[in-house]
Amino acid sequence: MKRFKIISAVIILALIALILAVQYRGKSDVSVNNGSNKELSKYTINFLDVFDTSTDITGFATSKEEFDKEANLIKEKLTYYNNLYDIYNEYDGLSNIKTINDNAGVQPVKVSSDIIDMLEFGKDMYELTDGKVNIAMGSVLKIWHDYREAGLDSPETASVPALFDLQEAAKHCNINDLIIDKDKSTVYLQDANMSLDVGSIAKGYAVQRVLEYCKANGMNNILFSVGGNIAGLGARADGDNFKIAIQNPDLESSNPYIEKVEISDGQCVVSSGDYQRFYEVDGKRYCHIINPDTLFPAEGFAGVSVITDDSAKADALSTALFNMSIEEGQAFVEKLDGVEAMWVYHDGTKEYSKNFKDSVIE
Amino acid sequence: MKKNDFYLIIGILIATAIVVIFSNIITRKDTAGAVAVVTIDGSEYGRFPLDRDVTERIEHSDGAYNVLSIHDGICEITEASCRDQICVHHMSVQYNGQTIVCLPNKLVVTIENSNNDDIDGATH
Repeated sequence: MKRFKIISAVIILALIALILAVQYRGKSDVSVNNGSNKELSKYTINFLDVFDTSTDITGFATSKEEFDKEANLIKEKLTYYNNLYDIYNEYDGLSNIKTINDNAGVQPVKVSSDIIDMLEFGKDMYELTDGKVNIAMGSVLKIWHDYREAGLDSPETASVPALFDLQEAAKHCNINDLIIDKDKSTVYLQDANMSLDVGSIAKGYAVQRVLEYCKANGMNNILFSVGGNIAGLGARADGDNFKIAIQNPDLESSNPYIEKVEISDGQCVVSSGDYQRFYEVDGKRYCHIINPDTLFPAEGFAGVSVITDDSAKADALSTALFNMSIEEGQAFVEKLDGVEAMWVYHDGTKEYSKNFKDSVIE
Repeated sequence: MKKNDFYLIIGILIATAIVVIFSNIITRKDTAGAVAVVTIDGSEYGRFPLDRDVTERIEHSDGAYNVLSIHDGICEITEASCRDQICVHHMSVQYNGQTIVCLPNKLVVTIENSNNDDIDGATH
């Protein structure tokens, strides 16, 4: 009889344990135990202050305060790069890309090594992409920028720049006129009519630097999303890879995502497309990515997404691929190590590089 | 079985029930009461529960506006004065951490206290 009592007590205790386990399983995707008996929760912070876009930082921490501390450091760093790489605004006591542009044909400008390194990366990308990414194309991009702004402000009078004006501006886009003196830490544009536009690389470059800063400072399990430039440091706190949705370029579609992928530690996803920054003239869409060969917006795809292990490179490559034909693009990606791409046409059909689908979540 | 054994088992069952009910209440705090939190230029404008249908016209100081609509447990921007209309075209949101952003109007809608979907971030 005594034995019976013990057995029933054990069974009942086991039942309690089972019920509790079931109860808390539902929470496990929100919070996980980090091994030191502290629960990690998922937090996201959004801010609108950098790179003229929306930034989300997602992290796992034991408390909101702890997460905010890390998020604020990240925001500070991103703001630093935003100011350095700004081509439109001046900041007190700071020499940035605008300072370099303002001194084109005038004098070399002494700048931080963070600018020198980014510009050298820009030159590397010019080489790598055979000129499809050209940070010295500011004169052409400025014309499109002004027409786009005017067209958005008053759609009824929106117009397209004259080819002649674009061709004149294109005479001042020679990357070799960007003179970098590493020893003196100066940058000089030796063509007075040229200007830098680092929009195709600066954001990705900054995200990569900040990610490396976080890593060096012992942070982990952070997902950066700066205007859709997505980069992951570590994984989710539960050890699973970060899961990233790629937006459907067709914004009217009932299907908001066109693909879902997962990225491992240090990987990133960047999309370039014609569906966010554009203006319309007579019902035709003109996007912000200008093909250096035609001097007009690239039209082959609605979007191109790149997965690789360097956010700066991903940013540049997605722009480059957007400016190439599918054949050129496939051959280009094939040559590069650890780079995968997905092309989305305007009718919603997709093409993939050889191993892109390895990252896709079915 | 003696009478006392019977009481013991009943006692343990009641204790279990209490634990289950309490842990249920604690867990529910995380999922019930999903809200869309609206901020303008970083400061909170209002919180709108997803279980209550509402259409709110959010006016900005410069005459600009966004119209927020909550219906069937989802939240979307149906109309806005901004020139790019990215917020209007944005998918409706309902899961934890999802956002709709209107950059020109510095408006951010963030879902809090809702269920998680399996996505950590999205390109745009």
